[in-house]
Amino acid sequence: MTRTNIALLVLITCVAALPLFGDAYALRLGTMACMYAIFALSWNIVGGFAGYPSFATAAFFGLGAYTTGILMNKGVPLTLSLLGSLVLCLLLAAALGAVLLRLRGHYFAIASLSLVEVFRELVNNATDLTGGGMGLNIPLVSGSSVLSDATFFFYAMWGLLLITALVVIAVSMSKLGFGLNCIRQNETASNMVGLNSTLYKAIAFGLSACFVGAAGGLYAAWVHYIDPSDVFDILYSVKPIVMALMGGLGSPLGVVCGAFVYLGLEEVVWRNYIQIHSGVLGVLIILLLLFLPHGLVSLHAGKIWRGLTGRKAKHV
Amino acid sequence: MLAIQVLINALVLGCLYACIAIGFSLVWGVLNVINLIHGSFIVLGAYLAWGAYNSLGLSPWYALLIAAPAFFVFGYLLQRLLLNRVITAPVLVTLTLTFGLDLILNNAMIYYFKADYRKLILNPPTGSISIFDVVVPVDRLIATASALALTFLLYLLLRRSKVGRAIVAVRLDRDAAVLMGVDVKSIYAIAFGLGAALAGCAGVLMALIFPISPLTSSAYLGKAFVVCVLGGLGSVSGALAGGILLALVEGVGSVYLGPAHAVTLSFVLLIIFLVVRPQGLLGRKGFE
Amino acid sequence: MFHPRLAVSAFSASLLLAAAGLGATSSVASAQDVIRFGAPLPITGPLAPEAVKQQQGYDLWAEQANKAGGIDVGGKKYKVEIVYSDYQSNTPRSVQTTEQMITQDKVNFMFGPFGSGAAKAASTIAEKYKVPMLAATASSSQVYDQNYKYLFGTFTPNDTLTTPLTQLVKAKAADVKKIAILARNDLFPLAIAQEMEKSAKANGLEVVYFEKYAINTLDHSATLSQIKSLNPQWVFVTGYTNDLLLIRKQMVDQQMKAGVVTMIAGPAYQEFIESAGQSAENISSASWWHPAEQYNGKDIFGTTANFVKLFKDKYKLEPDYAHASAAVCGALFQMAIEKAGSLDRDKVRDELAKMDVVTFWGPVKFGANGQINSLEPPVFQIQAGKPVVLFPDAIKQGEFKLGVN
Repeated sequence: MTRTNIALLVLITCVAALPLFGDAYALRLGTMACMYAIFALSWNIVGGFAGYPSFATAAFFGLGAYTTGILMNKGVPLTLSLLGSLVLCLLLAAALGAVLLRLRGHYFAIASLSLVEVFRELVNNATDLTGGGMGLNIPLVSGSSVLSDATFFFYAMWGLLLITALVVIAVSMSKLGFGLNCIRQNETASNMVGLNSTLYKAIAFGLSACFVGAAGGLYAAWVHYIDPSDVFDILYSVKPIVMALMGGLGSPLGVVCGAFVYLGLEEVVWRNYIQIHSGVLGVLIILLLLFLPHGLVSLHAGKIWRGLTGRKAKHV
Repeated sequence: MLAIQVLINALVLGCLYACIAIGFSLVWGVLNVINLIHGSFIVLGAYLAWGAYNSLGLSPWYALLIAAPAFFVFGYLLQRLLLNRVITAPVLVTLTLTFGLDLILNNAMIYYFKADYRKLILNPPTGSISIFDVVVPVDRLIATASALALTFLLYLLLRRSKVGRAIVAVRLDRDAAVLMGVDVKSIYAIAFGLGAALAGCAGVLMALIFPISPLTSSAYLGKAFVVCVLGGLGSVSGALAGGILLALVEGVGSVYLGPAHAVTLSFVLLIIFLVVRPQGLLGRKGFE
Repeated sequence: MFHPRLAVSAFSASLLLAAAGLGATSSVASAQDVIRFGAPLPITGPLAPEAVKQQQGYDLWAEQANKAGGIDVGGKKYKVEIVYSDYQSNTPRSVQTTEQMITQDKVNFMFGPFGSGAAKAASTIAEKYKVPMLAATASSSQVYDQNYKYLFGTFTPNDTLTTPLTQLVKAKAADVKKIAILARNDLFPLAIAQEMEKSAKANGLEVVYFEKYAINTLDHSATLSQIKSLNPQWVFVTGYTNDLLLIRKQMVDQQMKAGVVTMIAGPAYQEFIESAGQSAENISSASWWHPAEQYNGKDIFGTTANFVKLFKDKYKLEPDYAHASAAVCGALFQMAIEKAGSLDRDKVRDELAKMDVVTFWGPVKFGANGQINSLEPPVFQIQAGKPVVLFPDAIKQGEFKLGVN
């Protein structure tokens, strides 16, 4: 295992300590942070490893949320419902991936973006099953005290993040990861040396969708009420990309850092600029792209450390 | 009779859709940039028409004359100062950059104009013409005619002018164009400026028909996407074909399946086109 | 090279950032003798126009309350402070905001977010923390079905709008037999359309068309052509102002005529009447409140006329039911707090629960589930560019006119 991957696991472990010194609201932010990190890691499989600009995150997030929501309304317990979301997203995404990932560049971007629209409208129109525009209520899971509820969902989301990270690390070290790398660098050549790129891409798309779907399911159980325009919000597709660009494309540690920093920024901007927060966020995105095009990874850590502490960094 | 009425509606609406999409298509085709700020440009154009009519008493035709150069300059500068810096970066970067720009412009419009809906009401109203039982609203006809005229102007520009030929050359083969002495960066800026100008003009025309609010920008952008893919990327006639096809599908779909399914249908069609015929109805490698 | 320490510093940097954000907002909180009310608003996103209305209502109340010296709590005056935040028209974000306001901003009481969906979701949080929440714009009975103790709402159920409408049309236009219903596929518009369908069927009308349209629909010409071909005498459309303006315009374009055209919720809003111009004539609608009402209230605003006057002075526009409901929520909190003589949330909650009082909004009494059950929503029609109340008879201003061109 490489050093950055170990660092990633250490970072995630640190996050788990949050309930020791946070109130319910800090736990809510922590849960969001874990969810964003799941998005970013998942997106990174297709966007970072294989180099396909996917905008499908919101599609599978929403699908997962509705799958769990509907199953729980039918009396299925949370864990099984989440598993249902995960499996459904995995299979559906793999099947769709085999078809859609034949497209390159912008065409793939648009096709994946359209998936969000199609899924949203399908859910919207299946009023009998999903409540359509009226939204769907999800039964409460534990319903005990505020803090225990918050802790429960925090650890559930954190656990999912840990699983996602382990799978992503495993992928990056496996033949699959190597294959995806080849596809990114030169797909035609990879095909010629006998790599089954369609299969690889389908698996990658499936993996990038399944944890997002499970996160969606968990999210639905957490907020008790979902409606199509909320969970199929196109911003859920764009955010992981910004996070990945912030942290550094391709690096699992980088994208997770990107996710945390992004959440921090979003929270600060949103709190302090009620009327103009989205504009300020836009400015930040542009500055980031212009001045830090390769993300946080491109910063030399030693330099920052020196800058922060004012002493010469000892090499670790 | 319903069938004819639906058909006529779709033809008129299709031309409006083409008008919404054409600037988007130009930018995508020439610069290879998916310009997410396009929808907000259209809305800004609509506000311009609304403001010119309500506070200065200028008819939308004059607003067109203001919008075209103003948006051209705006777009030109945006490309020169910002987008050109990252134009060679991967798809993702340019796309995210325009997303950031869109956040800013849209938020600024919500801030200055407030989010509530406005409507440009021409006085006296233009009414509708009816032939037998088929009705066509006059303002839509006018907007359609103007949209067609704009499209034709763009076609002439690309065909006949030196700049136009240079834009086409860059679109066809960037490297060859550079070798032939074309200043690609300035061509990019001109093309982006043209795209913005077309969006602004489309906005002025849409102000005659649709309520105006910063919130409608995503709907315009969505239509532009679908039209471009259906019709074929970066071609003027393709945008027309795509617009009419989309309007037809929506119209027929909403009559036979219900209006809620019209949107779904158009996006399903889009995915099918992407997979089966990514070059669109009239797409070619060339651009004109 | 990527350094593990960078990861830690990135994470702690984001925590620092978040902490900085917390510090900035909570520093205001320490002022003494202030009652803080949390008001989550959809300032950006599709519901943005609604946020403006709610904020104007809350602000007007806060201004009036503070002008009178503040809220009297057991002989001591407290100033009113409203904490706003933007939940971006996103329901989960409204839940998050509510929790943030209660735990971080230490608000004493909560206003609900806009609409039934968000109010329902956010009320769960208010209930958990036992903070009284007044929802200004939640009508669906599902919101109150949860039987929460701390949630109260000032809108009667949706069928209280559609039933009087149907009865009025039946009484005044006996030849109306066929109705076409077109609804926006969204919580409130769809719910009220379904009530209308029930009410129409119960009254022996034939529903010849019932469809919903997607939220981002730009063009309705095909749908309207189809409705026109079915010749309904009553066209019933639901949606928000933008949808209804567009649909109304396209109806005129298509030269659609009908005996009765009802639109909910647009015509209650001044901007609909202004923007639709001539085409708004004879459109009927119903809402929970109307500026023509004449209640003599015990609240800070007193009479309905006084509220309308104060509102016009401040904002230079005619208030509609959304403005008024937000303002009355503030006024109700004030009455409950003054009566309780304490800022204790449970005592204020109990005062709200047993409230039975007349306000400028109308008589206010909450049912066991927290939803108001004392209000009789008015039916009205646009005549000569002005809304004219047709029902209830006590405040009737004119006669129902048939024929919409």
